[in-house]
Amino acid sequence: MTGAHFGVALVLAATLIEGFAQVFLKKAALSPGGKTGWRVLGFATFGVEALVYTWSLRFVAVSVAFPLGSLSFVAVTLLSRCLLRETVDRNRWFGIFLILVGASLVAGRA
Amino acid sequence: MPHGSKTPRKLLAGLALAIIFDTGLQIFWKLAVSDLPGLPDQPTLGLTLAGMLHQPLFLVVGLFMVGQCCNWLVVLDHADLSYAHAITSLSYVSVAVLSVMFLGEIIVLQQLAGIALILAGVWFVTRSDHAGSPAGGGTA
Repeated sequence: MTGAHFGVALVLAATLIEGFAQVFLKKAALSPGGKTGWRVLGFATFGVEALVYTWSLRFVAVSVAFPLGSLSFVAVTLLSRCLLRETVDRNRWFGIFLILVGASLVAGRA
Repeated sequence: MPHGSKTPRKLLAGLALAIIFDTGLQIFWKLAVSDLPGLPDQPTLGLTLAGMLHQPLFLVVGLFMVGQCCNWLVVLDHADLSYAHAITSLSYVSVAVLSVMFLGEIIVLQQLAGIALILAGVWFVTRSDHAGSPAGGGTA
């Protein structure tokens, strides 16, 4: 694995971590009690994401890393569907498909 | 924001500022990481974290983050999240342009096509039905 590929893998990990952070914050919003715990977990997870993204920028250009961050839309959609049972309409699935294709093109440049 | 309404000047300024904060944050973040003192080319996470403590540019990165958060909260007071989020995704373009100008990065056609598809994708995602949207539609 080259440095650039490792960097792309780190950006992908950061987007997945952001997906979990968003789910934790949504759990806080939905939870009648224990909001603080979910919020702390959510913000701590955002902190971890920032560290992983910082590390990734050591390996990959920001013109590649930043657009790849749009994959957080994909992570949030999949996680909110699986973990929060949210419904996802056809427009959003099409948007997710376009983001995946676009991100693949950007990643292919790395 | 209802369809066809004129975007208020204050909101326009807030959206422009959001794009500026997004862009500045990414450019300074990359500058800060690229210039970490005493690190090998491919450092571990631990070495990167240790290097961050000796890099004053991360203070600028932190200031951009705080500014971005404060401005975003003001923007959301005046606009729907789906509208604001779609507009500020234009920072994918501004970051690409400024990374060429200030960081010497090279952008190829494939990347531009990818960014265009991502922008289209974000537009579809933000236009989709979501809980809490009036009549279930986008409001941009």
